[in-house]
Amino acid sequence: MEDVVTAIRVVPLGHYFVLSFLLFGIGVAGALLRRNILIIIMCLELMLNSVNLLLVALSAWYGDAGAQVMVFFIMLVAAAEVTVGLAILVQLKRNAEGVDINQLNRLKW
Amino acid sequence: MELLALLLIPLVAGSILLVARPAAATARGLAFTSTLLTLAVVLWLWYNWTGDAVTVLSRDWVPAWGLRLSFGYSGIGLLMLVLTGVLYPFIIATGYKQPVGDASLVNALLLYCQAALFGVFMVQNAILFYIFFETSLIPIFFLLLRWGGEHKRAITVRFFLYTLMGGLALLFSIAYTTLQAPGHSADFSALAAANIPLATQKWLFWTMFLAFAIKMPVFPFHSWQPETYTMAPTQGTMVLSAIMGKMGIYGIVAFLYPILPEGTAYWQDFVIWLCLIGALYAAVIAFRQENFKRLVAYSSMSHLGLMAAALFTWNAYGISGGLYQTFAHGVLMICLFYIVGMMNLRVGSNRFADMGGLKTRMFRFALMFMLIVGNAISMPLTQSFPGEWLMFNGLWQLNHWMALAGVVLIILGAVYMLYAYQRVLLGPDRDVPIADADDQEHFFLVPLILIIFLVGLFPNLALSLVDGPVQHLLNAIPPLP
Amino acid sequence: MVRMDLLATLVPALPLLGTLVTGFGRRKLSAYAAGGLASAMVGLSFVCSLVLFLGHDGGTHIVHLFNWITVADMNIPFAFQIDALSLWMMLFVTGVATLIHIYSIGYMHDDPRVATFFAQLNLFTFAMMLLVMGSNFLVTFIGWEGVGLCSYLLIGFWYTNPGYNYAGRKAFVMNRIGDVGMVLAMTLMFLQFGTLEYAQIMDKAGSFGAGNPILVMCTLLLFLGATGKSAQIPLLTWLPDAMAGPTPVSALIHAATMVTAGVFLVVRSSVLYELAPYTQEVVLWIGVATALFGATVGLFQNDIKKVLAYSTVSQLGYMFAAVGVGAYSAGMFHVTTHAFFKALLFLGAGSVIHALGGEQDIRRMGGLRNKTKTTYITFLVATLAIAGIPPLSGFFSKDGILAGTFEGHPVAWAILVLAAVFTSVYMFRLLFLTFFGTYRGTASPHESPRVMTIPLVILAVLSAIGGVLNIPHVFGGNEWMKQHLMTAVDGVLNEHLSITAGTEFTLMGITLVLVLLGAWYAWKLYGGKTTLDGEPDDMPFLKRLIARKWMLDELYAYLVERPFGWLSRHFFSIGEDKLAVPLTAGVGETSYRFGDWLRKIHTGNTSLYLFAMMLGVVVLLLITWMGA
Repeated sequence: MEDVVTAIRVVPLGHYFVLSFLLFGIGVAGALLRRNILIIIMCLELMLNSVNLLLVALSAWYGDAGAQVMVFFIMLVAAAEVTVGLAILVQLKRNAEGVDINQLNRLKW
Repeated sequence: MELLALLLIPLVAGSILLVARPAAATARGLAFTSTLLTLAVVLWLWYNWTGDAVTVLSRDWVPAWGLRLSFGYSGIGLLMLVLTGVLYPFIIATGYKQPVGDASLVNALLLYCQAALFGVFMVQNAILFYIFFETSLIPIFFLLLRWGGEHKRAITVRFFLYTLMGGLALLFSIAYTTLQAPGHSADFSALAAANIPLATQKWLFWTMFLAFAIKMPVFPFHSWQPETYTMAPTQGTMVLSAIMGKMGIYGIVAFLYPILPEGTAYWQDFVIWLCLIGALYAAVIAFRQENFKRLVAYSSMSHLGLMAAALFTWNAYGISGGLYQTFAHGVLMICLFYIVGMMNLRVGSNRFADMGGLKTRMFRFALMFMLIVGNAISMPLTQSFPGEWLMFNGLWQLNHWMALAGVVLIILGAVYMLYAYQRVLLGPDRDVPIADADDQEHFFLVPLILIIFLVGLFPNLALSLVDGPVQHLLNAIPPLP
Repeated sequence: MVRMDLLATLVPALPLLGTLVTGFGRRKLSAYAAGGLASAMVGLSFVCSLVLFLGHDGGTHIVHLFNWITVADMNIPFAFQIDALSLWMMLFVTGVATLIHIYSIGYMHDDPRVATFFAQLNLFTFAMMLLVMGSNFLVTFIGWEGVGLCSYLLIGFWYTNPGYNYAGRKAFVMNRIGDVGMVLAMTLMFLQFGTLEYAQIMDKAGSFGAGNPILVMCTLLLFLGATGKSAQIPLLTWLPDAMAGPTPVSALIHAATMVTAGVFLVVRSSVLYELAPYTQEVVLWIGVATALFGATVGLFQNDIKKVLAYSTVSQLGYMFAAVGVGAYSAGMFHVTTHAFFKALLFLGAGSVIHALGGEQDIRRMGGLRNKTKTTYITFLVATLAIAGIPPLSGFFSKDGILAGTFEGHPVAWAILVLAAVFTSVYMFRLLFLTFFGTYRGTASPHESPRVMTIPLVILAVLSAIGGVLNIPHVFGGNEWMKQHLMTAVDGVLNEHLSITAGTEFTLMGITLVLVLLGAWYAWKLYGGKTTLDGEPDDMPFLKRLIARKWMLDELYAYLVERPFGWLSRHFFSIGEDKLAVPLTAGVGETSYRFGDWLRKIHTGNTSLYLFAMMLGVVVLLLITWMGA
């Protein structure tokens, strides 16, 4: 394990921050701007993983395993979310004939 | 222990009814038995009462909000518990002769309501009070929504929203005072110790009073009352008028004076006049009603206005008279609404136009009705008279014009009640088949009439219960000059 | 003492027992059984009163039963006060009531609800006993309200007639208006004196000094109560309408006993009135005005009972005039004699009505002299008595009042004499139209049964010799009544008649001559009427005005009833429909509108939701960052 930590520490912490923020920003932009639900789900994954990346980096730099627990937790949630999300997606595709989010506006009172 | 029983007996009985859904007769029997049990418990409490305030339980629940589990009662709370305990068997028994619908469901709702009402009168913590205060609304809401009369949906929702609004104002004021109270506790004792400046008390008074004024109701916050009482099934009306209205009266004694003494004293004259004007207003309106039930609704409002005015005088006669009268008024309302229900059962409506000229065929009914009318117009030797006499004394101590306004009510009361009696029973004989009061109805009314005359002849039975606590109260919160 | 407690309790308790037995046993009891039982109860009550009266030692005894209302420093006992005044009232009320009960057995025996009638009559006696026996104002008030309720019930006894029901309610409500005064007076007295016991109040009142505004207030309010119960101006219009009740009721309640309760109350509180000269003036002039008012209206009535009703109003005015000038013993004396002869007149009228099968219009009577002999003779005695012809009882009692008023208020005296003349005219008119001339109706008159005529005879004897109770000094009497009341009514001690015997005889002479002239005038007009048109319906304006009691009913309808109805209507249509209901509805409406508006945010567009969420997160972050 020691070498992994060393490997991570090779890259300065600021770079991880920048990369993580970039990934997160791309995810947000994609979720807000794209209309295809499949893409939106992928963007959500991107955001989650950007956070994971940051957590791992910080964990290595500060030697705190707690962050890694968080990472596993997020991965678990992401897996569950993708499962449910894709299932909904398939149902939408079948019933509503489309995955364009702007057409799915019946979600109102 | 006994208090826990008071909460649990109706809850358990109600839940059994809800789950098991027994046949109508069994359901009524079970409900009636449970109310008799609570009556026994209440009488046991009364019997064992030593004259001191009792605290049964006191521990933190949600300290951050000041919410504590604190139960107990003083003589005044006990009077209210007795009121609820004594009247509830009659309310349940009404269902025997005047059923409204699915017996197990109706009785379950009524019993839940009873539990909440018991809760209101036994808690010693303002937030807990609020919780029970609002909870009692829920069963009534469903009862009215499901089994009400004409326009039940609109009226019920309106009634619910309106009273809820008052309740929210109360919650706000409780939260506000809790922040000022020592230890951020919402216990009544802690709230009473809170040091609130007069300027704040002045406006805080209205946020508290609003809830009670709507609940009683007091003019001009009464407008939900006549139509709700008229529309509600008999049992619902009885709960609303005989007991729930008294929560407002109780609130004056439990909240306003202890927590906001200077603020209440500041508004005292204004509020008393408001109550009295409302009482006169309701009495004048009652005279013109074409609907028997509505007339009784207005008369109830008229009486409650006088009681509220008397409590606001904050002297021994006024408070004792007002509290005594809560009991008398409860009995009276049960009687009158039962009579309205009896007539409805026979002629199929509540309108005077469908009644009249029935005395020859309903002689026993007429006699009982006359005795109850005597109580309603506070004839001496009936239950209502000592209370009214004390209230007039209390009012005069403050201001003789107030006493005059109060006394005028006895004229107006005679005007509309005798008119109602005439329109229900008297006049040229009407040739319709109609049954006199039967055995079941006798079993219902005769005990109440006996109570009316027993307490009327020996009012000290009830007055001795409030006399001591009222002295305590006045010692703790002396009337302000 | 034990015996007195028991007897005093029995006096009201027996009629109450009678009420319960006849009331609950009304299906099982025959008309005679119910009547007999009820009469027996009142009769026993009379016996008890008599025993108490004979054994009375002249003192004031309080029979304390139990504490009624106890709160803080208020303690109102349920207690009776046995003294000369209450004993005298008990005695003559139960006495007259017994006779009227017996009479009713005959009068009411055909009515299907006769047992109910007797139950209510007994209940009335019970309440009346509480009224006169109470040791404090509040116990008196029990009786005061109780007799009012019985009056309501008995006026509307024949409940199928809407007019009778209206009359009953009118009586009750007008009495209640008076009761407002009574209740306020009691409240004021309690807060001032700390007690409602007569004895203690009368003791403490002295420290207030004459003319104290509080005492004036108390007495005026009490007098308001008295005007309601005793049908004085302005609360008098209920009494003539109250004649809707069965005739024995009119005799017992609306002539002999209940309506004199107001006089009793003033006499009972004589100490207060003595200390409030202003109120005494008011009482005097109200009494005088009512005496004249009743006498004038009585002149033009054609209903036999209405004539007597206005006569009662007028005579009650005399009594108030008496107590107004402080002649309490004269007032009480007139209460007593009036009870005798007015009860007799009503019972006689009842006998006539009975004889004619329900006819009450004197234009369709006449010539009954020979057909109903006993009734005629007794009626004649009563007429002579009420007109004040010596040596019948009315002469002495009325003379006492006139002599009392002449001393300080000659104008009042003159008006009362005028009223006495009118009294003579309308009473003899009634007598002549009913019993003289020839019969103008269609029924076949017959004399009433014994059970009705015997009470008439007894009352006639009492009306004739009742004067011996209080023969004035000028006739060599010892004024027994005055001596008797002196022990109980402090006001009697202050009665000093300072006019000389000569003046008194002159006054009597003037009155007597005028009264005889009045009788002669009546004879001239009505003595030999044989035709049906006793009185035409179309009368000149003034006559019509008077006959319709000076338009008082119309005035009240205009001033009170109509505005009240208007208020009730408009409170409802404006107050409820336009103000209060919109307030409740407003809360519902507002929540609904707000929700409706807020709902528009929910477009259903997920992108928008996401965007909003993001925006929220950014804003929160900014806030945190700025705050840090």
